[in-house]
Amino acid sequence: MVLNKQLGAILFAGLLATATQAALAAESVNFVSWGGSTQEAQKQAWADPFSKASGITVVQDGPTDYGKLKAMVESGNVQWDVVDVEADFALRAAAEGLLEPLDFSVIQRDKIDPRFVSDHGVGSFFFSFVLGYNEGKLGAGKPQDWTALFDTKTYPGKRALYKWPSPGVLELALLADGVPADKLYPLDLDRAFKKLDTIKKDIVWWGGGAQSQQLLASGEVSMGQFWNGRIHALQEDGAPVGVSWKQNLVMADILVVPKGSKNKAAAMKFLANASSAKGQADFSNLTAYAPVNIDSVQRLDSVLAPNLPTAYAKDQITLDFAYWAKNGPAIATRWNEWLVK
Amino acid sequence: MASQIKMAATTPSGSTLGARGAVSGGGASPSLAQRWKGSSNLIPALLFLGLFFLAPLIGLLLRGVLEPVPGLGNYAELFANSAYARVLLNTFSVAGLVTLFSLLLGFPLAWAITLVPRGWGRWVLNIVLLSMWTSLLARTYSWLVLLQASGVINKALMAMGIIDQPLEMVHNLTGVVIGMSYIMIPFIVLPLQATMQAIDPMILQAGSICGASPWTNFFRVFLPLCRPGLFSGGLMVFVMSLGYYVTPALLGGAQNMMLPEFIIQQVQSCLNWGLASAGAALLIFITLVLFYFYLKLQPESPVGASNTR
Repeated sequence: MVLNKQLGAILFAGLLATATQAALAAESVNFVSWGGSTQEAQKQAWADPFSKASGITVVQDGPTDYGKLKAMVESGNVQWDVVDVEADFALRAAAEGLLEPLDFSVIQRDKIDPRFVSDHGVGSFFFSFVLGYNEGKLGAGKPQDWTALFDTKTYPGKRALYKWPSPGVLELALLADGVPADKLYPLDLDRAFKKLDTIKKDIVWWGGGAQSQQLLASGEVSMGQFWNGRIHALQEDGAPVGVSWKQNLVMADILVVPKGSKNKAAAMKFLANASSAKGQADFSNLTAYAPVNIDSVQRLDSVLAPNLPTAYAKDQITLDFAYWAKNGPAIATRWNEWLVK
Repeated sequence: MASQIKMAATTPSGSTLGARGAVSGGGASPSLAQRWKGSSNLIPALLFLGLFFLAPLIGLLLRGVLEPVPGLGNYAELFANSAYARVLLNTFSVAGLVTLFSLLLGFPLAWAITLVPRGWGRWVLNIVLLSMWTSLLARTYSWLVLLQASGVINKALMAMGIIDQPLEMVHNLTGVVIGMSYIMIPFIVLPLQATMQAIDPMILQAGSICGASPWTNFFRVFLPLCRPGLFSGGLMVFVMSLGYYVTPALLGGAQNMMLPEFIIQQVQSCLNWGLASAGAALLIFITLVLFYFYLKLQPESPVGASNTR
């Protein structure tokens, strides 16, 4: 009898737990991003106000891992509802059937910069690869554009470049080699690698934002290709770091919903809020990354605004995410071959 | 410590087992039933490993021949492409160099720990262990701070006027080997020290009484006695180095890409799981081959001994 009672109690507790989980699941969104100060800002600008207004809990998770995302979708056990991914991956994943189409009756598509929205993804933020340099290392002559990276005579020192085979490095090599901006794609890989060969021994590769800042601030490299937000943060800290925005290369992060997400409806509401004029502006003001909502620009902090890619739209080149989504894997093979040669 | 006890325990029990076998079976080796007596105790461990290690591993290896199309296409790609051959070569040379340097550094350290008075030895051993408990990432970044062009070592050397150009000690092979050797030293010292502790000093004394010079005594007596420790430590370090990721990624240059970094790239950014799985299978295969040679070359190990019997 006692045993039966205990058993009953355990069963009841189990049921209760399942019920609460179900109730919770109906009102929560699992948000996944890259961690660090970026995700902290996404929490402050999007998740916290959203939870307060809608009553939907936003659970922070991370870091983004494309392999994990694919494994979840394949196994049918999808734990993530909204994921912050790179723009070329968003298109590639959509083509591979890993993503849910977005509900544009909830999300306002016409307010989003068309460069950063597709059927399966809406912009998280955008940023530019800029030419950053250490003023203490270079002295009087200030580098003007990407050609300076390849001119080790005038500007001695090591160069910091982004180490993954993703949009950016090949484009800047071609631009420095004299390819006009509108003739970049399809990429002339032979020409790009040949140009990179000229400085190969001077390149220090960085894999993450913190590492890139450490390289530049310490003077380990005299210049390189950096995310604009990281340069801005260094300048705020008083590091002797300069920046050239000439031919700044635009890259974006995109928010996507994995196929089979358990909280799709809530995820769409979250995306509507994150891509709203206010959500985008608040996030930009916290991070120095740029808003994808065209109405956000007038809401930007007036001190910060001149340091955002939105202020340098005139001499800006948007990297071709669709080209990379299609050719990325093939380029990666070539890239590895060149790298270890 | 543990292996020392194990070694001490296996020798006598092994001989009693042999003696008993001789009594009951009348032959040289114990009967099969006796040798497998108590093997049912293995079931929980086997079940756990089978369910959570072996089954997923087989699933992973299957991907290598099933994705994206069934066949050996992934392996063909892995071997045909010169870049991947280069990645393999990098992996081996790094693992080999790291094993060499950590043996060269670990041997004197283990010896010193064995020679100093007992209480002190324990302290030094604790310091070695302590370094293992500190976050790997923190230790790797510390090396970055020490070794980089504007780092402590270069600044000190330049201030002393020994060099006038900073040495390039990081973002290349040198950096990887320094950082990884440092991390691997404990894995050499622990088994080696246990082996050395178990060596009877009287044997060395006997050697010199018989007229062996200190050098002969070291190379012909002491070193062969250390072999089990050197082998197990060296093998462990070599195999661990083959699969190391964080340290090469931070201290190495991109041109020194190793197999683990290649696998991660295929899994995480290219989503080419077939090729990644082929790479992983290759790593496992190499490890197994090495392990086989290890057992072959080391008859004094308990496993080797029972194999030859």
